Amino acid sequence: MNNQNMRNIGISAHIDSGKTTLTERILYYCKKIHAMHEVRGKDGVGATMDSMALERERGITIASAATNVEWKKHSINIIDTPGHVDFTIEVERALRVLDGAILVLCAVGGVQSQSITVDRQLKRYNVPRIAFVNKCDRVGADPLKVKNQLHEKLGHNAVLMQLPIGLEDKFVGVVDLVRMKAVYFDGAGGSEMRIEEIPQELQQDANEKHEALLDAASMFSDELAEGYLEGSVTPEQIIQAVRAGTLQCRLTPVFMGSAYKNIGVQPLIDAVIAFLPDPTEVQNTALDLDNNEATVELKSEKSLPPVALAFKLEDGQYGQLTYIRIYQGEIKKGVELYNSRAQKKFRVGRLVRMHADNMEDIESAPSGDIVALFGIDCASGDTFTDSAMNYSMTSMFVPQPVISLAVKPKDKKSEDNMSKAINRFSKEDPTFQSYVDPESNETIIKGMGELHLDVYLERMKREYKVELETGMPQVAYRETITRKVEFNYTHKKQTGGAGQFARVAGFIEPCEEEEYLFVDAIKGGVIPNEYIPSCDKGFRKALQEGALLGFPVVGLKVTINDGSYHPVDSSDIAFQQAAISAFREIYRKAAPVILEPIMKVVVESPNEFQGNVFASINQRRGMIVSTTEDTAFSQIEAEVPLSEMFGYSTVLRSISQGKAEFSMEFLRYGRTPQSISEQLIKEHEAQKKKN
Amino acid sequence: MVKAELIKKSPLRIFEKSTHGGVGKGNIGIIAARNGVGKTACLVHIATDQLFQGKHVIHVSFSSNTSHIISWYEDIFQEIAGRRNLEEAMQIHDEIIKNRVIMNFSQQGISIEQIIKSLESMISQGAFAADCIIFDGYSFSQGDPDDFDRLKQFAARLQLELWFSASLPDEEYETDERGIPTVFLPYIDKTAILITMNPAKGHIRLELKKDHDLADTQDLHLKLDPKILLITEEA
Repeated sequence: MNNQNMRNIGISAHIDSGKTTLTERILYYCKKIHAMHEVRGKDGVGATMDSMALERERGITIASAATNVEWKKHSINIIDTPGHVDFTIEVERALRVLDGAILVLCAVGGVQSQSITVDRQLKRYNVPRIAFVNKCDRVGADPLKVKNQLHEKLGHNAVLMQLPIGLEDKFVGVVDLVRMKAVYFDGAGGSEMRIEEIPQELQQDANEKHEALLDAASMFSDELAEGYLEGSVTPEQIIQAVRAGTLQCRLTPVFMGSAYKNIGVQPLIDAVIAFLPDPTEVQNTALDLDNNEATVELKSEKSLPPVALAFKLEDGQYGQLTYIRIYQGEIKKGVELYNSRAQKKFRVGRLVRMHADNMEDIESAPSGDIVALFGIDCASGDTFTDSAMNYSMTSMFVPQPVISLAVKPKDKKSEDNMSKAINRFSKEDPTFQSYVDPESNETIIKGMGELHLDVYLERMKREYKVELETGMPQVAYRETITRKVEFNYTHKKQTGGAGQFARVAGFIEPCEEEEYLFVDAIKGGVIPNEYIPSCDKGFRKALQEGALLGFPVVGLKVTINDGSYHPVDSSDIAFQQAAISAFREIYRKAAPVILEPIMKVVVESPNEFQGNVFASINQRRGMIVSTTEDTAFSQIEAEVPLSEMFGYSTVLRSISQGKAEFSMEFLRYGRTPQSISEQLIKEHEAQKKKN
Repeated sequence: MVKAELIKKSPLRIFEKSTHGGVGKGNIGIIAARNGVGKTACLVHIATDQLFQGKHVIHVSFSSNTSHIISWYEDIFQEIAGRRNLEEAMQIHDEIIKNRVIMNFSQQGISIEQIIKSLESMISQGAFAADCIIFDGYSFSQGDPDDFDRLKQFAARLQLELWFSASLPDEEYETDERGIPTVFLPYIDKTAILITMNPAKGHIRLELKKDHDLADTQDLHLKLDPKILLITEEA
């Protein structure tokens, strides 16, 4: 297949805006599935893209599966991106491999807090997008309001491509503002499109919106602008101009319909082909690891050596399935590839194209394509090349986990399965991490939020049959210093055998810009050059565990400006030890404080519960930054310490009759108030005594 | 300069002196100017001055996006802190932003009752002890003088100081003998302070048109410096 006939798209949306149903319909019209199911369908089958049982039960999509469909001689790979903010790493990784996206919005709810998060992520990766206003059949549907919100809340240059014919239960079709025709959807599952003249009562509105479309689009095409002035505009000119604006992310065409009622889906698939980029229209770069990580541009030519990114791992029936996006060259069955992170070669055994629950074996795949490999041992985010090149795709932004939880398997079998499960999950998701606490010998899992860890615990139970007990979630605190202090420490040991001697002196001070800075201000070789890195290493080691709570110390600058050595007794170890002891000796004098993760929390609530939401944030030591209110809904943006957010979803449900919802993401580390710090230190001391 | 000195040297102390203590609790002040003259800058400067004094401010706006309002505050703070060489500026910044909250309303369809109700929930349930409320972008042409009665009662009940910005028409407009634009006449009895901003040579002059119940108003000798967007003393 020609590159120009390929599209890699994501469907990004707020939970419950009907994304899964929409995906389902797209698969149906592209003849990939033979029957339609509802997300929470009574038939118990569930929509095809939700491949995990858990997702099926919760009615949400967690993992991003890729599926391939064909539409009018074009090949479309659909990456199903998760909608919840707690799984952002999944979303962000999927975004990395997309060339374009459909932003699905609910015609009733409009642009909600998660739509804002998702849109910001799309923006960060410069993904061109088209908007689809779904659920136009619902009570209260107002696609024009949603189009305005796209402009106001997300800053999109949104332009209507369609108008609704009827709304709510009278919603029957759309007006195509490019061709100025009415489109209705007949037959089983709405699969037959009937084109007619625009209904009389909509004609004037349609003319106005058509003008507005021409106005917005002519910015991106001289040809259209000229045609517009001369009064002779062809649909092709409009499409070409809208496409140009969309690819530059300066225009967002807005489509509408109801996936559930089978209205407006086919024109949307046409729009994917018409307005979203093919792989050759997107610039991709890699880092050359052999050349000091210099940026190299990748070209989608078949003759060039292959470069591919593993963006998703899945446990299949026959072993690990690795989803890859090919950025350059071609990948054939049987060739040898090189994993630049693991520095290992491997052979491509089976190459498959994926549908949500079945697969097709293929011989080769060109650049731009998304396919899957079988039985390859690798981690998510690895880059594959031919062994002549040592490229890595740009490292993805991976946030540090902010929450941890102790897990204890109930029996030996569970223990084995749990380690398998953890191993798998941490490969799939770099924000999910684990370690064994050397003191308590407990396994600790870490992640981005309560829900994030909950989902993995559930998966352990269901997919790996692990029976386990869990502890209370723990917040990942940090420590920092607030005062500059000097140190001067001599490490001396003379107990038989070779002695140890090292002296280091200098000062530590707070540093806002970096987590840790080491400055070598030694003059005259009082500490020989070869031992300077040892001092640095010693300080790094000491910083791993602060004396207040045992959490890492961040935000400080160490300067060494004096010291002494002994020609025989000084060594790497001696200087490391001197640095560690120097730090421990003066740490308390530097007025250390505890830092806690502060989350950005956005609550969407009907106005009647606004006061309750204010109170709930206030009770959680939160600071309300802003509120935005229209006649029905309020959006409240606040900064709240993570430690206060446990169980908030339950609380929010109960104070809003289940009508408010919230999203949360890590914002920064902030200083913990004195009283809380004292409490934490007391608890830590008690815990230490107990062990 | 330390914070206490910065507060003392603020040009807004001159304003308070000229107006016998400023707007005062339970009262309403208005800053009126044509569009683009710098009303928001003035209001944000007034709000920031209050924040420096440890007071709590609610900034009410009628646009859909809050991020540009936050940038206004950031800019004005940086400008003041930079010019006065404020000590421990970052720490003071972090302390005072806790006392500021931004509340946005889209004015179409939102009644003054709803706005007052939301402000009250913020103050009571949100435990936000507001001292001053800034209304930026309230439309006097679409508004209703009765709204002002309700707002004044609300301000009196909760002992708040309210500040409004008001747009003057771009074309010539009529004034009464005191120099008060006639559009404000239905509101003027409920207003304690009215300041108009008038372009003069290279700067914007702040002129006091109404000062509580006093017949004569003093010259403020204040201007808005259009380069730094701060209120400063007239040379």
